[in-house]
Amino acid sequence: MSHSHELVIKSSMSRPPPPPPTTNKDQQRQNPSLQEINIKLIQSGEKERLKELLRERLLECGWIDEMKALCRAFTRKKGRNNVTVDDLVHVISPKGRSSIPDSVKAELLQRIRAFLASTAD
Amino acid sequence: MSSKINGHVSPQPCPHLLVFRSRNGPKPFRALQDCIRVKPPGGRAAIRREPTEVPRCGTCEESSRSRLYACVACAAVFCHAPLLHSHASDHSLSIPGHEIAVDVDRAELFCCACGDQVYDRDFDAAVVLAQTVNATATTSTSGSTAMQCSVAGSQPENLRKRRRVDYRPWEPDSGEHISRGNQSIPLLDAANASLVSSTQQPWGLRGLNNLGNTCFMNSILQALLHTPPLRNYFLGDRHNRYYCQQKNGAINGTKNSRLCLACDMDALFSAVFSGDRTPYSPAKFLYSWWQHAANLASYEQQDAHEFFISMLEGIHEKVEKDKRKSQSPAGSGDCCIAHRVFSGILRSDVMCMVCGFTSTTYDPCVDISLDLEPNQGGSGKSSSAKSLNSFNVEADCMRPNQNCGISTLKGCLERFTRAEKLGSDQKLFCQKCQVRQESLKQMSIRKLPLVSCFHVKRFEHSSIRKMSRKVDRYLQFPFSLDMAPYLSSSILRSRFGNRIFPFDGDEQDASNDLSTEFELFAVVTHSGRLDAGHYVTYLRLSNQWYKCEDAWITQVNESIVRAAQGYMMFYVQKVLYYKESENQGTS
Repeated sequence: MSHSHELVIKSSMSRPPPPPPTTNKDQQRQNPSLQEINIKLIQSGEKERLKELLRERLLECGWIDEMKALCRAFTRKKGRNNVTVDDLVHVISPKGRSSIPDSVKAELLQRIRAFLASTAD
Repeated sequence: MSSKINGHVSPQPCPHLLVFRSRNGPKPFRALQDCIRVKPPGGRAAIRREPTEVPRCGTCEESSRSRLYACVACAAVFCHAPLLHSHASDHSLSIPGHEIAVDVDRAELFCCACGDQVYDRDFDAAVVLAQTVNATATTSTSGSTAMQCSVAGSQPENLRKRRRVDYRPWEPDSGEHISRGNQSIPLLDAANASLVSSTQQPWGLRGLNNLGNTCFMNSILQALLHTPPLRNYFLGDRHNRYYCQQKNGAINGTKNSRLCLACDMDALFSAVFSGDRTPYSPAKFLYSWWQHAANLASYEQQDAHEFFISMLEGIHEKVEKDKRKSQSPAGSGDCCIAHRVFSGILRSDVMCMVCGFTSTTYDPCVDISLDLEPNQGGSGKSSSAKSLNSFNVEADCMRPNQNCGISTLKGCLERFTRAEKLGSDQKLFCQKCQVRQESLKQMSIRKLPLVSCFHVKRFEHSSIRKMSRKVDRYLQFPFSLDMAPYLSSSILRSRFGNRIFPFDGDEQDASNDLSTEFELFAVVTHSGRLDAGHYVTYLRLSNQWYKCEDAWITQVNESIVRAAQGYMMFYVQKVLYYKESENQGTS
């Protein structure tokens, strides 16, 4: 199977921070879209760093081992030749997303916020 | 559906991949190889047309999808999330011949029609090549024996000459059954019964008298006497002491004209397996060993591990003098029985953290010395944070959050093979950068010996504080051990991910010739203090455990062994270890 997918970044980034209460025209600039954030992260190299950090945290807390075990169990049940990458992604995605420790989520969100703040125009 | 090449499963291509290959020449992914980007040096491989390209789906313009694939036929990028929307699948369905794509963030080939990963030997070789930065011959940084480590995708496939056969214990067929009953006599017949204790102890169990703080020697000798390949060698008369002494001029009249530890071993085997159960005094052996290791000749306490090493050297030295300088490569074990049994090969990879250039060296070893964990039950985080992910260490390590505080042998082996960042005071010279750089080092086992001896470093000598101390921490060890995760092939696979490996033939044979499963047969334990301690050996014979404490041998329960403080553990290849039936002397 291929490396575990970074589902967390996706889920945390699909919920951008709530917009501030004022309706000033300048808010347009202060609320970058998901796309813009993503591009900023990629171009600065921060996304790669965040991914490495995430991999390290998920390895430490045993999440990766858990996902591997789930994949193995599923493959054993279905038979080695009857399983595709898409099957595995489909099967473990919900369990994977729900079992990410809160501390890991918090740390990454904090990093992303800090990054955005530091690069705000 | 999948075939084995060089012992590893190589997946069969799907029909779409076959069609694609037939239409696009012998190297259909050649253009793709130019788009392989590896950042940081030695890290993960990605596919980018330009180094700064931000991939986005051609249909929905989204760049934040978790799976983006580039069509190999037309280089268009699409997202793929089968249940929500898959523009990659849409693309493959709309244009025939465009089913094969590559994951842009993982550099893995994918068939959009099958929804599964596919493999191409040349492409995988190119990815591994890019990750290792430099595929040319490496040279040794330590000056010891070095071998070429080349990653060549153009080598022809090296098909295994032998089909792997699974281990099965021997059962006599009907013919053998009959001849066993008719023509053979039990080893322990009535005449010998008086010599054998009522518990019918196995062959070769005989106490060794302590000649004055010689338990360090007795404990190792007991283990060696029951090391299956060594025992078979000597009992099979492969080193005949009479012939050897005659050859070496003992007839000249000078006593002990040629020192030969192997002859003394032969004499020891004969004595111990004679059937005589009275304790034996290995005085001749001790004297011979003193002559060989003059600096250790005294009645003081010695270290059992030191004795073990010096004994193997002694056997090797004598044999080498007879033959001309051996042409056999180091670690092959062709030189003498000691190395044939115990010698394995360790591989050391040192990667420059600045440019990614990796230097590989191979060194033979007769045992593996393992450190105990620095802090028991403490934060596993401090040790795992050291293992950098640029080496992609997704090992089956002990989960730190499950740490119940018990050190295990497998944990020690895992730490031994973990990628470790060398301190800034230990910068190594990088061939490519031509300066000393910070490096990442990783050990693995290139070739397993017949018998693996693990030595636990329980005696700490601190040069700073000018004192030594003993580490009493308990170490759990298994009775059966699979060494597969610590082999070079496994370590490298976990470093590079899911690839067909373009190893040269050498690499494959070394690890696939013999099984990786081992069985424990002897444990040497130490109790007491550094300066006043006692060695005891536990032997496993016929699936029973026996405690050998100098002259006294007693049968013990396996729980006693499990709880003992292991200092040296001896494991033999499972195929060489026969768990005999419990009943001896039955037809």
